[in-house]
Amino acid sequence: MSERDRIDKGDREKEEPFYAGQGRILEMIAVSAPLADILTRIVLLMEAQTDGLRCSILLLSYDGKHVRHGAAPNLPEAYVKAVDGLPIGPRVGSCGTSMYLRKPVVVTDVLIDPLWSDYRGLAKSCGLRACWSTPIISSHGDVLGSFAMYRQEPRGPNAEETRLTEIATHIAGIAIERQQDHGMLREREARISLAAESADLAFWVLYPEQNTAWISEKGRTMYGFAPDEPLTRESFVSRIHPDERVAVQAALEQARASQETFEIEHRIVLPDGKTRWVITRGRSLWDEQGNVLKKICVTIDLSAQKQSDLQLQVQREELARLSRIALMGEMTASLGHELNQPLTAIANNAAAARRFFDRGQIDPAILKQLLADIAAASHRAGEVINGIREMARKGKSTRSLLNLNGVIGDTIRLVRSDILIRETTVVADFDSRLPDVEADLVQIQQVLLNLIMNALDAVETLPPAERRIIIRTRSLEGKSAEVSVRDFGAGLPKDRPDKVFDHFFSTKAEGTGMGLTIVRSIVEAHAGTLVAENVEGGGARFFFRIPAAQGLPVGKAA
Amino acid sequence: MTPVEKSDAEIVCLVDDDPLVLRSTGLLLASEGFAVRQFDKGEDFIAYVGAHEVPLVVLDIWMEEMTGLEVLARLCATSPQTHVIVITGHEDTAARILAMQFGTVAFLIKPFDDEQFLSAVRGALAMHAIQ
Repeated sequence: MSERDRIDKGDREKEEPFYAGQGRILEMIAVSAPLADILTRIVLLMEAQTDGLRCSILLLSYDGKHVRHGAAPNLPEAYVKAVDGLPIGPRVGSCGTSMYLRKPVVVTDVLIDPLWSDYRGLAKSCGLRACWSTPIISSHGDVLGSFAMYRQEPRGPNAEETRLTEIATHIAGIAIERQQDHGMLREREARISLAAESADLAFWVLYPEQNTAWISEKGRTMYGFAPDEPLTRESFVSRIHPDERVAVQAALEQARASQETFEIEHRIVLPDGKTRWVITRGRSLWDEQGNVLKKICVTIDLSAQKQSDLQLQVQREELARLSRIALMGEMTASLGHELNQPLTAIANNAAAARRFFDRGQIDPAILKQLLADIAAASHRAGEVINGIREMARKGKSTRSLLNLNGVIGDTIRLVRSDILIRETTVVADFDSRLPDVEADLVQIQQVLLNLIMNALDAVETLPPAERRIIIRTRSLEGKSAEVSVRDFGAGLPKDRPDKVFDHFFSTKAEGTGMGLTIVRSIVEAHAGTLVAENVEGGGARFFFRIPAAQGLPVGKAA
Repeated sequence: MTPVEKSDAEIVCLVDDDPLVLRSTGLLLASEGFAVRQFDKGEDFIAYVGAHEVPLVVLDIWMEEMTGLEVLARLCATSPQTHVIVITGHEDTAARILAMQFGTVAFLIKPFDDEQFLSAVRGALAMHAIQ
């Protein structure tokens, strides 16, 4: 065995337990062992490497201005107690100074070094002579604490001691930083939980890989999960109303694919059969390889909001009733005025004819004229009565460039609560190339409202799962915009679907039979057409087409 | 088609922008033997008044271009001796008051009773005769 081999062997014998010790400490860090235990093990490991060495680890307090005890298993208790809580500064022993200056401070003799002037007595009574302290710096560059070596003889550190210091500060840094991260995480979780508990919302996290889930206390109540019930993805899916399961999962899937936040309104069904309207909002968190680590979701109970929606609904119905009355009143006045002219002509012509007769001087040509005028005036009176389209044309109409996709979206929002209360699914299928039209916004909304409300009425008697309306837009070669509203109800009169447009035709107990007449008049006033048809497979479809605005054949880019 | 006027027939002017009302009212007046001058525009009637003696005009209020009230105001300035009968599609208190201030002798709502209308015409012409 050569000299060199012997030295190497000796080093290995010494080094192996040292590496093993480091490994055990890293393991402790990995399993989140208490920080005090980890730091103590670091100190003991370092002390074991060199005779007569005493070590300590001090932490920097949260305020960044004081030292806190970390680990010092072999330093006198009186010394440890005296140091704990000291402020850091330019002349506070080795440790307080190194934390303050963010660099190693080597004091070869505490009895003469000015940094120790305030602590000389303490050091002497504890038998400490040299103290070399190195700051522990986090990965972000923050001072976490300090690692110090003490000796009973005055001297500086040798190469071995410097190496040990490097290792110790590195490992201690990892341990302290990790513990602080955990602390912050716990604090954040506690805060979120607190917020979640105080609001009507459930906070839940899905871990797809493990297929486990965590949910806040309030969430358990909201979803009707037992306090200790283990949760999986399926637990949540099982609570979603069967009608909306597909839609919710599709939203989740789309959010996963697009890496965006998703939001969907849906119902959950509790074990006791009660349903609850909620809105779920969430997003996925990813690792660097693109795997979903977890899905974080917040679910808000809309019951309270639904309550106010209901009140709004009542108010809106009242408003609708009043506006219907107003509309009828307006119509009566307008009809009255329009009718007076031809009626005057009829009355005058008839009176003139009678008077000519009375005088016995009737000219057949004049009589013919009088009768023809009576017929013409009668015809015009009929036109006035039929021609509510006149109203639509003559009513103060302000036309502007509209994209019907947007108008439909707004209109659906207007009747959102109707849709929810009637538990109807509204599917919107928009053609992004829909050309703009020049139209009166209010009138078009009236058309859409009528068609949508009719469709809602049509599907009302169906079981909720089948209550569906499809609103679709289509560009007809960029020349016209087509909007169709399809329901899955009983359909239109088989013999003549068009009958629904007749005045006073109504299938509804409270209907006036004027709705669709007005709707058609409005569409026609926009140079458009409105058609009603039965759809194969059940239900009715109403569609109207309005010509694209002149010079603007193509709608805004989607 | 107009009935043949007698040479001594009293002339009544008629202004209404609705052709059916204009013709039927004209025939009603003709059936009583009046000579009728019909105008479907206020401006045309005002031009006529500038050149002719007009004892009576039957005037519609709601007309598209020059309204009946405007015609009335001009008439006050150019031919104050002309009597006016207003026929209108609907009651309008403000218009009625204004019309009366401008010397309107009758204010009739369409459709009006033929006898009531013709007696108003006869009354107005009689008043014009004694002035």
